[in-house]
Amino acid sequence: MRSDEMIKSSQRLTRRAAVMLLSAAGACTAAHAADIATDALPEPGPERKVSIPAARDATLPNGLRVVVVNRSVTPLVSVALYLRSGAEVDPSRLAGLTDLTAGLLDKGTTTRTAPQIAEAADALGGSLGTGAGYDASQVSISVTTPKLGAALDLLADVVRHPTFAQEEIDRERKQMLDDLRLALSQPGSVAHLVAARAIYGDGAYGHSAGGTPASLPRIQRAAIVKLHDTYYRPDNAVLVFAGDVDLEHAVQVATSAFGDWKAPATPLPVTPAGAGKSVLAPAVSVDISGTGQAAVSAVHRGITRNDKDYYAGLVTNAVLGGSYSARLNEEIRIKRGLSYSAGSALDTRRQAGSFGGSAQTKNSSAVEVLGLLLGEFDRLATAAPDADELAARKATLSGNFGFRLETTRGLLGEVADLALYGLPLDELARYLERVQAISAEQVRDFAKAHLGRDGIQVIVAGDAKQFADALAKAYPKLERLDAATLDLDNPTLRPASKKK
Amino acid sequence: MLRRLLICLGLTTAVAVSAHAAEPLSIPPIAYQQRSLANGLQVISIEDHTSPTVAVQVWYHVGSKDDPAGRSGFAHLFEHLMFKSTKHLKAEQFDRLTEDVGGHNNASTNDDFTNYYEAVPSNHLQRLLWAEAERMVNLTVNEDNFKSERAVVEEELRQRVLASPYGRLFNAVPKDAYLVHPYKRPGIGSIEDLEAASLSDVIAFHSTYYRPDYATLIVSGDFDRAELDRWVDTYFGPLPKPAAPVPHVTAVEPAWDKDRRYSEHGPNVPLPGIVLAWLAPAARNADDVALSVAAALLSNGDSSRLHQALVYRQQIAQRVNFSSDTQADNGLISTFAIMASGHKPEEAEAAIIAEVKALATAPIAPAELDKIKTKIITQALAQRQTAEGKAFAIGEAVLLKGDAATVNSDLAALQAVSADDVQRVLKKYVLDAHHVTIDYTLGLDKPGDAKPAKGATK
Repeated sequence: MRSDEMIKSSQRLTRRAAVMLLSAAGACTAAHAADIATDALPEPGPERKVSIPAARDATLPNGLRVVVVNRSVTPLVSVALYLRSGAEVDPSRLAGLTDLTAGLLDKGTTTRTAPQIAEAADALGGSLGTGAGYDASQVSISVTTPKLGAALDLLADVVRHPTFAQEEIDRERKQMLDDLRLALSQPGSVAHLVAARAIYGDGAYGHSAGGTPASLPRIQRAAIVKLHDTYYRPDNAVLVFAGDVDLEHAVQVATSAFGDWKAPATPLPVTPAGAGKSVLAPAVSVDISGTGQAAVSAVHRGITRNDKDYYAGLVTNAVLGGSYSARLNEEIRIKRGLSYSAGSALDTRRQAGSFGGSAQTKNSSAVEVLGLLLGEFDRLATAAPDADELAARKATLSGNFGFRLETTRGLLGEVADLALYGLPLDELARYLERVQAISAEQVRDFAKAHLGRDGIQVIVAGDAKQFADALAKAYPKLERLDAATLDLDNPTLRPASKKK
Repeated sequence: MLRRLLICLGLTTAVAVSAHAAEPLSIPPIAYQQRSLANGLQVISIEDHTSPTVAVQVWYHVGSKDDPAGRSGFAHLFEHLMFKSTKHLKAEQFDRLTEDVGGHNNASTNDDFTNYYEAVPSNHLQRLLWAEAERMVNLTVNEDNFKSERAVVEEELRQRVLASPYGRLFNAVPKDAYLVHPYKRPGIGSIEDLEAASLSDVIAFHSTYYRPDYATLIVSGDFDRAELDRWVDTYFGPLPKPAAPVPHVTAVEPAWDKDRRYSEHGPNVPLPGIVLAWLAPAARNADDVALSVAAALLSNGDSSRLHQALVYRQQIAQRVNFSSDTQADNGLISTFAIMASGHKPEEAEAAIIAEVKALATAPIAPAELDKIKTKIITQALAQRQTAEGKAFAIGEAVLLKGDAATVNSDLAALQAVSADDVQRVLKKYVLDAHHVTIDYTLGLDKPGDAKPAKGATK
C-alpha cells in the first residue's frame, strides 16, 4: 500500500520537480525564473522589500555620542557603551590590560560590590557583558523597555565609578589565566593566537588581547587605574541603543546617567601602530600533543574597515567561504568529507585587517586541506565567479544581514560597527545596494590583491607528529612550535632565553 | 557550525521553553493555529508580518534514542543525508532553495527528535513546502553521497569529542548515567558504529520513521493563511500514511538505587572537570517548570548561587552550570564544573551539594525568586523576537511536552512557582535521589573506556 501511494505521490511531484531542475540550472536567479511555466512548480512570488530602520544620533554637551536605532516589535532594548580604545592600547609588556580593565568594571564600584552589581543586573532581567576587542572596549546589557532607565544607571555606575579592588583584580586575573589554559589546549584558538603574530608581527594587533601567562601576573593596579583614567571618557565613547526606544527617550536616559561625566582636558594619547612586521616563517606548525584534529589556517594581511574596497571584500569573502554553500565548504566538506566546516573570514579593523580561510580536519588530512584552501584562493584570484554564483552568494550575504536586523542585539552590532569606525549611519540602509553593486571582476581583483601567495601565512595547529613532516616537504622552512611553550609576548613566539 | 548535533547537556542554560511574565512584565502568548491532515501530519502556523521572511520547520518525532542496535549516531548521520538527493532534487539543492535566495537552513538531532529548519524571504515559502514534502517521501541517497557525508560526521565527532578539551567528558555523561534507556548512547555515535552503517540502513530508517504521521510542520512568519493552507494541502496532503506502526522505544529507566562514580580521562585536559547527574522526570511532568526555576536559581546569571559560591567566593571553579534537561521520556538534572587551576573535582562536588542543600532547605527570599522569573522571561522574550524563534519554542513544546499549548501555559506555571515548589522538587529529584558522579582528568584512556572507580559505589 505504501509503495502504491508512494508512486502516486511521486508522480505528482515529478511534474513539478522536472521544472524545478530547470530552474535549478538557472540557479534560481530572477532572470531565469520567468522561464518557469505557470502549471509547474511556481516561481517565487514577488519580492517584498526588507525595511531597514534608520539610525539617528545626538551628541551630549560632554561629547558623548548617542546613537539609536528603533525597532519596537518587542518591548526589549539592547544598549552598549563603547570606548573607542581596545587592546591595541595595551602597553607592550602588559598584554591583556585593556581586557582585564573592562572585565573589572562590574566587579565593584564606589557604591556597589561585585555581587550587588550581578544581583542588580539579573534583577533587571539582563546580564552585563564586558570586554575588549582590539579597537574598542564595551559594556552592554539587554532589558525590557520599562527597565531601561535603571539599566542605564547601572551601566553608568560600572563605567564611571569602578574601584578596581586588589582582591577583584587577583580574582579576575586568575580567571583570565585559566581561560588562556583552555584556549591553549584547543587547535582552533591556538591557530588564532599564532595567526595574530604571523599577520601583524610586533604591531599592536599581533599580541594576545586576552593576555598571556607571563603578562597577566605583571599587571599592577596602578596600570589599570591609569588606563581607565586615560581612555574612559565621554569624548572617547559611543552609547548605542537598539530596540524599543526612540532618540528622545535615549537622550533623556543617557543624560540622566552620563550627563555629568566630564572629559579631562588632556588629549587622548596616540594609538600605537596596529600592524608591524612578522618575523615568523611563512609556514608554522604548532604541536598540541594528542589532540584529535588539526586546525588549518591560511591568512593574509587585509584591509581596514574604512577601506574603499570593504564591500568588495565582503562579497569576495562570501564567495570564498562565508557560508555553507561557499567554495571552501563545497570543496573541503561537501565534495570530500574532510571537515565538519570550512570557511573564510574577513576581519577589518581601524588600522589593518586580515583575510583568510580555515578548517579543522583529522590530523592526517591537514596537508591535503591546506592544499585545497590555497587552491581555492588561487582559483578566485584567477577567474571571476560566474553570474549565477555571484548572485547566489550576494543573496546569502544580504539575507543574513536582514536576519541580523531582526534582533535587538544584531541590530545593535550593525549600528555600533558604523558608529565606532566613524562611518555615516545611513550606510545601514545602503548595505544591500552596495553589495549588489560589486561586480565579478571586483571579486577576482580583490582576491588577487589579498589572497595571493605572496605574504600568505600558513598555520597548522594539532597533533604535529601526524602532519609536520609532510608539511615540511611543501615548506622546507617550516617553523615548528609547541603550544606548551609558546611565548605569546614575543613576536617570534619562542621564549626569549632560547635561541631560535 | 552547520547541521549541528544538539547536545542536550548542561552547556546551555536551562531556560528553554518555559517563560513567563511576572507582574510588571508580560509576554503576549504566541498566537498559533493548529490543524491535522488526514494522513496524520500536524501543522502549526504562526502569522507574523514584521519582516518579509518566513521560517519553515519539520520536526520528526525520531531521534538518537531510536538509533538501530549497533548503529549509535545513526539518526544524526541520517539527518545529514536528508540534504542529499531525492527523486526530484539534486544533492544540496536545499541550499540552492535557501542560501542562494537569501535564506538559511540547518537541522539538528536530539535524543527525542530531529528538526529541519529554514528561513527564507517569504516569496519562497511555496517552494520550501514543496521541497520538505519531497524529502519526506522521496529520499534517494547514493553510495557516494553516503560515504562522503559519513566522513563529514566523523570529522564532526572528532571536532566535538576529540579536539575539544571537554568533549570526552560530555560525550561520556549519558553513557555513564543511564542504566538501560537508549538515551545512554551518545547521539554523535562512535567511529566504529558509523563505519558499520550502510546504505540499506538509510533506506530502512527513512521508510520507518519519516512519514507524515510522525512529523510536525511549523510555519512562522510572513504568509497568507489561505495560501499556506492550500499549499500544505497540495504538497503534504497526498503523502501516504504507512499502515505499519512506528516502533517506539519502550525501555524505561528505573529509579537509580545507588550512587555511582566514574572516572573519565582525556589526553588534553587543561583543567579537571566534574559532572553530577540525577534522573529527571519527563518534560511533561508538572514538576518540570519548578525544576527549571530551581536550576536557574543555581546557575542562571552571575548572581546565581553556584556562580557566586564556586566561582566568585571560593574561587574553586573556572565555570559552573546546573541544568534540568527534561526530555520526552525522562532526562538528566546535571551540574558540571570546570575547576580553577590548583583545585580538585571533589572540592566542587562538596560545594555544589552544599549549595543545593541550602536552596532546598533554607528560606528563599521573595526578591530572589522574582529576580529569576524576570530573568527567564526576558530571555524568553529575546528568543521570541523572530518568527524563527517562536517556531523553535513551539517545536520544543510539541516534541518534548507533547502539546503546543504548553508554550503559553508554562508562562502561567512559571509565574505560579513558589519557594515551596522549588524546595519540594529539589528534595524529590536531587537530595532524596541517587546520583552519578563523573570526574574528568588528564589521562590516556581511549574515549568510551570509562571504568567504575574502585570502591566508589555504595
